[in-house]
Amino acid sequence: MARIKIDHTKCTGCRLCEIACSLNHVGGVANPRRARIRVFREGSICFPTIAGPFVDAACTSKNDLIIGDQTYNMCLICRASCPEKPFFIEAETGFPLKCDFCGIPPSPSCVRWCNSGALELIED
Amino acid sequence: MYGWTGRCLRVNLTKNDFQLEEISQELMNKFLGGRGLGVKILYDEIDPTVDPLSPDNKLIFVSGPLVGTGAVTGASCNVITKSALSGTIACAKLRGHFGAELKYSGLDMIIVEGKAEFPVILSIMDDKIVIKPGLEYWGRTTSETENMFKSSLSDSWAARDTYLLSIGPAGEKLVPLANIMNDGFLSVGGAGIGAVMGSKNLKAIAVKGNHSVTIADGNRFVQVVTTLINKLNTAPLISQSVSSWGSAFLVGLCNQKGILPFKNFQSSSFDKSKHIGTEALSSAFSLRSRGCFACPIACIKKTDVNNSLFKGKGMAPTYMAIGALGLNCGITDLTNTGIANMICGEMGLDPVAAGGTIATAMELEEKGLLTKDSLKLDLRFGNGEDLIQALTLMATKKGYAKRIGQGAKALAEEYGHPELFMGVKSIPLVPFDPRSLQGMGLHFVTSNYGPHHLYAYTFFDEVLNIHEQLDPWTTEGKPEFVKRVQDITAVMDSLGLCNWPLMGLKFNNLVPMINSCLGTSYKAEDLFRVGERIWNLERLFNLRAGFGRKDDILPERFINEPIEDGPAKGQTSRADEMLNDYYNIRGWDEEGRPGSKFLKTLELESRDGKNKD
Ligand code: SF4
Ligand code: SF4
Ligand code: SF4
Repeated sequence: MARIKIDHTKCTGCRLCEIACSLNHVGGVANPRRARIRVFREGSICFPTIAGPFVDAACTSKNDLIIGDQTYNMCLICRASCPEKPFFIEAETGFPLKCDFCGIPPSPSCVRWCNSGALELIED
Repeated sequence: MYGWTGRCLRVNLTKNDFQLEEISQELMNKFLGGRGLGVKILYDEIDPTVDPLSPDNKLIFVSGPLVGTGAVTGASCNVITKSALSGTIACAKLRGHFGAELKYSGLDMIIVEGKAEFPVILSIMDDKIVIKPGLEYWGRTTSETENMFKSSLSDSWAARDTYLLSIGPAGEKLVPLANIMNDGFLSVGGAGIGAVMGSKNLKAIAVKGNHSVTIADGNRFVQVVTTLINKLNTAPLISQSVSSWGSAFLVGLCNQKGILPFKNFQSSSFDKSKHIGTEALSSAFSLRSRGCFACPIACIKKTDVNNSLFKGKGMAPTYMAIGALGLNCGITDLTNTGIANMICGEMGLDPVAAGGTIATAMELEEKGLLTKDSLKLDLRFGNGEDLIQALTLMATKKGYAKRIGQGAKALAEEYGHPELFMGVKSIPLVPFDPRSLQGMGLHFVTSNYGPHHLYAYTFFDEVLNIHEQLDPWTTEGKPEFVKRVQDITAVMDSLGLCNWPLMGLKFNNLVPMINSCLGTSYKAEDLFRVGERIWNLERLFNLRAGFGRKDDILPERFINEPIEDGPAKGQTSRADEMLNDYYNIRGWDEEGRPGSKFLKTLELESRDGKNKD
């Protein structure tokens, strides 16, 4: 199955992926809030996160995300949109957004515009 | 309207009031947006002789039409005002994500007028515009300000989408060397602007929005941008040098060519370049790349979290910092330069202007013209601790450091040696020696914004030979060349594009991106014409502010003292010889004034009758 591999150590936080996604889904419209990928910044690290399913309740228990000697909020890399994390919801319609692996094959739109190697299409 | 949002926010801090205004399509067509639009507004709305720190000066933040669209490197927001350091027009370029977020807030431009009664923060969050009391932020460093503001928001996820620009203690204390910080990056070319913001009691501006930016021909635009990203990715200079080291890759190269100044431009060769090269840089800071919005190049280098000293805080020094804060102060230890650079960021000081000032003070001390008593500070070339201490004191105007904070020119004059000030129009030179780079030297004297390469990247061709093979030492053809590059840069800034892509692309490559985005049918020449119009309007502002040919000169050192040693030995600057030619090519008279007939061809009018043809 083809998947998008994310390497946050390479991400530069440029958000070209967000705009690629927005432009590809809504013709001629650039708006990160309409993208199905968002880049969350925490200190000097950027986490690209791709929208998965919508869930209507938040998790009741969470793991910590530990990178080096820092602890991060697990929600940063969670793909779900939930009441705790109001992302991936279209502002005007309230419609939940989910990645549909868009674009001209072989590369999805976001991967095509990501120049740093943070997003990569892999087969496994 | 495509690309542009067509809306402007006018804030009057004296009245504690604001209003939204429309920007006419005609103005957009004539000045593009960004720098061009900001210059036009400032020219029309303020008296150029006004005291820069008075409430009558205005501060304009303006994004270009390509910002936020996904156009490659469409990130730049310009800040236009009358400079507190030079008294000329000033234009800083904000990097990072502020400019794009401004567009997503549904605005192209913010005009700030007047002066608030007490410190305030302007908050533009999801269409709610509030002038908030900001007393608890006053005195804070730039990163403290950002963190405090973000943690004051009830929703931590909303905080992640919020972008903030702020001044540090230097701007609050009206130090004329103060700059503006946003997103953890100092703006470039911002010396003298932080103090203007401080004089308005405006500590910070926060933006967040969810408006869309629309693009005329989405399909074509996506195609063109994809091609450009790939082109940049395969351009050797970009992918191997700029993306890996940022502008610091120039350090070794400029040193080899005798361009990198040492000890207040006393010499231009440094034999231990290993200490400051790219390898030394990555071992001192463990670099991590950061890009401005929509930038595939990512020239900004942060320190990595695993770095034991910096722990991911602050930027690794750029060419400007290594040159101005480092070598020109005789400091060859990159860690010290890095710390100094970080202090500049936190305090909101401009590294080039502050570095240039300290270098002048150090030369005064070296020559015995400054006793320890007179400044109550040690300032010895090569001593990193002196530098670091001086910067902190300068920014907070503590003790005698207040006097250095007034800038290199004021300091050199105070001690009776104006010839030791290495700058033009009160602004210290960026670290490129104009003796071994003739085109840059001519640009330094003629630049509307003082001696900064930011407004004409002549080294792309004079040093790197990207588009043309130009001999850095010859003056032949340089006046035309300098004019051309100045005009192109004005266009790039006005559109909101960064200039680094021109290291891998020709300007012509960008035209289809511009047109498909804006729904226009510009040819490159049409845009250059707009660039020329902008350059002339800036010149008119400066002429009315009292500047003229008498101010278009380099310090004597560059004219009378040939470079002593190294690869460019024997060179002097011949900028003054080229000046007449340059004026001529610009269509100006021998005093450097555009005549009214000429202005008419540019569809400009000068506002007073002084500029006769
Ligand atoms: S694959 Fe397409 S839909 Fe999914 S995140 Fe990337 S651009 Fe968006
Ligand atoms: S395009 Fe790539 S590098 Fe840029 S923000 Fe997205 S994932 Fe990161
Ligand atoms: S090249 Fe550097 S300064 Fe220019 S847009 Fe990219 S990251 Fe920003």
